[in-house]
Amino acid sequence: METLVGYLLLFGVVLSIILIAAGVAWYRLQTGRLTLEYQISDTNLFQFIGQDAQQLFTGAFSPQLLVNLGIATLILTPYSRVFVSVLYFGLAEHNVKYTLFTTFVFSVLTFSFFRY
Amino acid sequence: MTISFELLVLISIVGGFIGAMSGMGGGVVLVPALTFLGVDIKNAIAISMISVIATSNGSASAYVRDRITNLKAGMFLEMFTIVGATVGASITLVAPRQPLFLIFGIVLLASWATLLLEKGEGWKPAVHQDAFSRWLELKGSYYDQAAGQTVSYRGIRAYIGGPLMFGAGLTAGLLGIGAGALKVMIFDLAMGLPPKVSTTTSNLIIGVTALAGTSVYFASGLIDPGLVAPVILGVVIGAFAGTRLLVRISNVAVRIFFLFVIAALGAEMIIRGLTGLI
Repeated sequence: METLVGYLLLFGVVLSIILIAAGVAWYRLQTGRLTLEYQISDTNLFQFIGQDAQQLFTGAFSPQLLVNLGIATLILTPYSRVFVSVLYFGLAEHNVKYTLFTTFVFSVLTFSFFRY
Repeated sequence: MTISFELLVLISIVGGFIGAMSGMGGGVVLVPALTFLGVDIKNAIAISMISVIATSNGSASAYVRDRITNLKAGMFLEMFTIVGATVGASITLVAPRQPLFLIFGIVLLASWATLLLEKGEGWKPAVHQDAFSRWLELKGSYYDQAAGQTVSYRGIRAYIGGPLMFGAGLTAGLLGIGAGALKVMIFDLAMGLPPKVSTTTSNLIIGVTALAGTSVYFASGLIDPGLVAPVILGVVIGAFAGTRLLVRISNVAVRIFFLFVIAALGAEMIIRGLTGLI
């Protein structure tokens, strides 16, 4: 469990850093500037991730998309960690208490993603 | 925004380093630094909040694999911190700016005072564990590299720890910081966990707490990708370096190091809150 959670967190951070760094580097090549100028507004986290995924699958690549995917990856990392914890306590440990605790955390996070 | 990319990366490296060393998250350095450079405090708080996810993930991944982190204590207490963070971030969205500076400074100085008073006292294992903490299975052991021995411990007073963690989460969401000092204090003083377990477990739950706060700030459009990109890159580099160092040094050295940094930043934020030079 420790090893799985540890590597999950590490993988999430590394992937997100690579995506953001690649986005910035690409933007630099395209425009000669390092600081991206665009806004993220009027969207909750699930819509944001949905839009990014849609652009990814339709092949609409851009520096902004890479940076967005990096941010999305970062956000999804602790979220996945909580999800993995639910599965671990429920399926591997059969620990009812901690399955309920982690399920509560997962539900609150999911709710907050949609609500705001 | 006219702040150079390089400067933002540099500041974030320093923030990430101090954040990992202290278990507080990079926010305590980032928010004062960003506002000093002219970023609106609400934007600074939102950006800091998302960067805290990165710091926490990066450091926590190393600690969790070293098996110092107490996963059960973390998962029980994050139920309280995420609710607190959602409430805190919602307050910041509507709050006036000057009090945010004041509260930020006061929280930093309060953390500083507590740690100063506590300094020098070694950790003693709890002898008697209450029924609730036993029910929560709060116990563990880890190998201390600096001392060269295995430390066993039992957590106590989880019934106080829970509600206090709501307060820590609220502070985190409100100010865009990890509020690690508060969390470490709750683990140390209220729940009797050894300092290294406190610091590392605090790091683990900071990530989820920051995520709860981030989702509130995200929807309000306060997260500017142009600022987020350099800040996240810098913070992760700094956090990685800090974490590598923390596993190798003794408890007292960790404390003394960040006492000074916190005091200076706290005083600066209070002065700006009072004088209105924001």
